[in-house]
Amino acid sequence: MAVSTPVLGTIILVYMMVIFYLGWLGYKKTKVNEDYMVAGRQIHPYILAVSYGATFISTSAIVGFGGAAGALGMGLLWLAFMNILVGIFIAFVVFGKRTRRMGRRLGAVTFPELLGKRYHSRFIQGFSGALIGIFMPLYAGIVLIGGARFVEATLNINYDVAVLILTVIIAAYVITGGLIAVMYTDALQGSLMFIGMAFLLIFTYIELGGINAAHTALTSMSDMVPETLANGGHLGWTAMPSFGSPIWWNLVSTLVLGVGIGVLAQPQLAVRFMTVKNDKALNRAVLVGGPFILMMTGVAFTVGALSNVYFLENFGQISLVAASGNTDLIIPEFINSSMPDFFVVLFMLALLAAAMSTLSSQFHTMGTAIGHDLYREFLKKGELGQTINITKIAIALTILASVVLAYALPTSIIATATAIFFGLCAAAFLPMYTGALFWKRMTREGAIASLLVGTFSSLFWLGFIHAKEAVPLGISKALFGMDTLLTGTWTVVDPIIVATPLSFIAAIVVSLATKPTSSNHLEKCFEK
Amino acid sequence: MLGIDDPQIWIAYILCFLSAIGCIIYGAVKWNDGEEEEEAC
Repeated sequence: MAVSTPVLGTIILVYMMVIFYLGWLGYKKTKVNEDYMVAGRQIHPYILAVSYGATFISTSAIVGFGGAAGALGMGLLWLAFMNILVGIFIAFVVFGKRTRRMGRRLGAVTFPELLGKRYHSRFIQGFSGALIGIFMPLYAGIVLIGGARFVEATLNINYDVAVLILTVIIAAYVITGGLIAVMYTDALQGSLMFIGMAFLLIFTYIELGGINAAHTALTSMSDMVPETLANGGHLGWTAMPSFGSPIWWNLVSTLVLGVGIGVLAQPQLAVRFMTVKNDKALNRAVLVGGPFILMMTGVAFTVGALSNVYFLENFGQISLVAASGNTDLIIPEFINSSMPDFFVVLFMLALLAAAMSTLSSQFHTMGTAIGHDLYREFLKKGELGQTINITKIAIALTILASVVLAYALPTSIIATATAIFFGLCAAAFLPMYTGALFWKRMTREGAIASLLVGTFSSLFWLGFIHAKEAVPLGISKALFGMDTLLTGTWTVVDPIIVATPLSFIAAIVVSLATKPTSSNHLEKCFEK
Repeated sequence: MLGIDDPQIWIAYILCFLSAIGCIIYGAVKWNDGEEEEEAC
């Protein structure tokens, strides 16, 4: 790449200084526990919307899923649509408003705490906290991979060093400034991402001769789909894979539904609804959030698919080949070879921002899940004890786990690992969370049943049935001597499709079979 | 449509824009709604 390292270094230095200033501002504004956990419930709608969007959309959505679109085609646009409809509209209007009110009435400061207090169960809070503490590092690990790969390629520094630098900087402002620092820096980072993606879209269409011309060129490439993909049901980059084929299942069940619906039960996102003081802020945030997400995933998936046209015209090969088979490298390769130098810098910064904004929230959520939910509320029964130190140690340990995973995970993993985490959250939390807000008849026992059924059926499916994870994990092979316990189409059906309905059924059946929650407590949770 | 033959794709492409526009309209119409409650915690 032609951009000189000193120029880029200077720009990044200025960016980092602004980030540190915002982190310091967060530190200064943090006076009580509620500031650290939910930003004092006083966040501005614009900051809420952009912070939510920037956390939601990590480098993994842009680099990983954009790359997946480079391989699988524009069918991923269904996910972009879901991101806007479910991830923004339904999340804010349907879930957000009730979450905010209930969170305030119950004095909850984390997502597991909201659930724990609604169902009067420290077990729910503790178990949810542990689940987040154990599995979120997987998600944070891949976000780190995305960010560090780009730093490595652009700044020309060692990948290991890139991972460490990123981690230390983010950890510093998360640990000191709490959620206020996280959200302020998110808002800046989100704004940079918006500008970066807008340029990316415009440049790509100009480079390829306009919207229709670009799409037509991509459509006409359908005979170039590699044989392995074609055998899996791939019909071209502007067509859905053939119905029921392995690629169709992967696209629809794992990517579109898994991530599209899983977003509703993401702890680091749900907690944000508790950071604003009234519904007005949520209404206004929808206006900003919708177009923001369109510019993120809509652009990433379109550009990812269209990169095939660019690589064909300039190098005579499709994206997957140009990126040596690693879908995670399609977007970085495309940017580096097709875009003007100044844009590479801008985009580099946008991606760095995307990684940092997601990571900061993940670190905050993991730390509070272990320190507040698991340690204070579950183990110490609400006593403060060493909560603050434990939270900080928990942040450090979970960060360490993420870093280790960032080294250990295989290639082309970004989109898959994101989907695993989103799917697990959907199965474990979504029925319980939905019931908490909308179904007064749902009981503590129902919630616990749904949490356990969702968690373990999801993990079982990952470990023993879903070939993509079960085969490399090898647990099924070791225990039962076969790669997967079921065969055929089952092995490509995502856990979310099976585990979430099971979890919903458990919630409903067990709730109806147990004693209703006392009306006193319900009155406390819901309005009058 | 838009250089894409498969309706399952161009419908998704258009829905992305429509849903984002929907969000803008919703936010604008409800711009001042929901100010109420400064209730005690």
